[in-house]
Amino acid sequence: MNKKLLAAVVPVMAGLAMTGCGSSDDSSSSGSGSDAGAPLKIALIPPSGGPLAVFGKDVVTAWKFAADEANKNGGVDGHKVEIVTAQTDGTPAATVRAARKATQGGARFISGVITSPENGALQQQLPSMNALSFNTLGKDDALTGAQCNANAFRTVQNTQMDVNMIAVSLDKLPAKKWAIQAVDYATGRTAAKIFTAAAKKVGKEVVLTQYAPLNTTEFGSYISKIKSSGADGVFAIEFGADGVAFVNQGAQFKLFDSMKSVLGFNMVSEPLFPALGDKVVGFFNNIGYVHQLDNPKNVAFVKAWKAAEGTDPYYVTADAYIGAQTLFEAVKKAKSVDPAKVKDALNGLSFDTIVGTVTMRPGDHQIQRDAYLGQVEKTGGKLGWKVVNTVPASQTQPAADPSCKL
Amino acid sequence: MDLAQLLNGLAYGALLMILSSGLAMIYGLRGVMNFAHGSLYMLGAYLAYEVTQRTSFWAALIIAPMILAAVGAALELGVFRRLQDRSHIEVGLVMFGVALILERVIVLIWGDDTLPVKAPSALDGTANVFGTDYPAYRLLIIGVAIVMAVSLVLWLRRSRTGLHIRAASHDTETSLILGINVDRVSLVVVALGAALAGLAGVLAAPYFSVQPGMGQTILIMVLIVVVAGGVGSIGGAMVAALGLGLIQTAGNVWIPSVAVLVPYVVAIAVLLWRPSGLAGKRVA
Repeated sequence: MNKKLLAAVVPVMAGLAMTGCGSSDDSSSSGSGSDAGAPLKIALIPPSGGPLAVFGKDVVTAWKFAADEANKNGGVDGHKVEIVTAQTDGTPAATVRAARKATQGGARFISGVITSPENGALQQQLPSMNALSFNTLGKDDALTGAQCNANAFRTVQNTQMDVNMIAVSLDKLPAKKWAIQAVDYATGRTAAKIFTAAAKKVGKEVVLTQYAPLNTTEFGSYISKIKSSGADGVFAIEFGADGVAFVNQGAQFKLFDSMKSVLGFNMVSEPLFPALGDKVVGFFNNIGYVHQLDNPKNVAFVKAWKAAEGTDPYYVTADAYIGAQTLFEAVKKAKSVDPAKVKDALNGLSFDTIVGTVTMRPGDHQIQRDAYLGQVEKTGGKLGWKVVNTVPASQTQPAADPSCKL
Repeated sequence: MDLAQLLNGLAYGALLMILSSGLAMIYGLRGVMNFAHGSLYMLGAYLAYEVTQRTSFWAALIIAPMILAAVGAALELGVFRRLQDRSHIEVGLVMFGVALILERVIVLIWGDDTLPVKAPSALDGTANVFGTDYPAYRLLIIGVAIVMAVSLVLWLRRSRTGLHIRAASHDTETSLILGINVDRVSLVVVALGAALAGLAGVLAAPYFSVQPGMGQTILIMVLIVVVAGGVGSIGGAMVAALGLGLIQTAGNVWIPSVAVLVPYVVAIAVLLWRPSGLAGKRVA
């Protein structure tokens, strides 16, 4: 009986094992020329709940927009773009499970993963899934540093690029004496350190540096310290709800009235405009994309997006669109949807996008694109961005992260 | 610590005081930690957003606590009373479930985004307090907390219902034998406790902004306040809330790198010094 059972189970197990290993005989990943006409299947894995669900929804909209645009023109190099979505609770384990299921269903290209921990967990599993990932939102340096992976590509600026853009732009801001209000987190401490060094370089002074734990709601004691520090500028590295609380409470204390410059890092963004209101007019902040960029590709994109969605694109949707364009360009260059060939085509890929010419750096798979310093302005009753400084990647991160070993 | 920082500590402590008084009252009478208290506070803040959009902040200050009182009454009739003979852990777990459901329902109605609630225009600026410019809205929170604390203590000490609440909180069975309608007392206490959570939520809305994680964040602080104050003691919770607000602010100013640990260290220190909390079993 046991032998019979064994005889029945072994072939089934062997079959399952072969499927799980992501056999290269998969119809969508066969060799040169043989995959002509095969669909370009992309799996999007955003969170369905929590504070990031709204970003996940926007990312899916942008990828579908890019897919529709490509399919109307006959697909990408003849391959019809197919989007499948698998929603998660935003935890790394659930994201990896969803990705594995999607790849078993034939998707070889993954995106829509929002947070850095999810991207980090996914990246390590990509080779075993025979899949490539396109990170359009996770900015943690380690994703293209110590945690980099040959199958993972980042199409958005990383934290170091954004902080270095601010450091390079510091001499354009009028304040001389700065107070730093930072989240007590790796990003907050790194940004504060780089800012302090940059300030010293351009003859400015940091008179106060203080850190508040993540999820701080009461900023009164921090704001009182800034007010008595003698600073005429505030550099605030506070995200999401923390940033909103800091700005709202700062306004109640009339903190910003006495400042020549208020500079945020990831603090002010389009989705938070309704919560922040007119208080942030005149604030500076790092930005990755603005719909006003004046180049033919962007003008056409903004027009088409507005016609389809009724609003201007913002950084989440535009960055997802750039992720899609990067994949499509690589497929065209590879003339295949085989992930191995697309991966080769991505290394060093340089092409024209809605943010100008970008290059995928082969050393760490970090895209090279401009970063911007923006200032909030109110035009036509609406809050928006004015670009104050554009800093190329050659100044924000000229070389691949040395801790990345591909 | 200058005057502005002292007022910061008082304002934060005042908010904790309003919130923890309700939690301490419910614990004192029902013997159960109401883990949904943070969600009730959150509901109060979202109602403040809704009412302020439609009418005014001042209307929200009345309407939201009234709605929360009704929610509290429903919780008393639907959960606390039905489960009064079950173990406290079971009731605590049910309340934890109620908190999760309530938070999800709030997100489904109002979404995930952080929502702004404007302070009334009369309180949007700063006021001069002994030569220090300080946000007028925060002074309102301190004022409301003082009025609430005095009224609550007087009501508990002077009124007949207050006497019954104190008696039932000490010994439910003896109170029943002496003819006190403990069910009615409990209905009043849970409804009032929820209303105070709602009041704290309304006051917190222009202070912290309104966002989905706000209930969980503050619940931990309020639990520490109630435990350090003497579980079930409203007076103890009030003193502990003000003390914790001041100590937390002092920690932020003087020892910022470890300030996040201050509430936990305070709770441990108080419990080592007085195992039943600052006030022991005194209710008010």
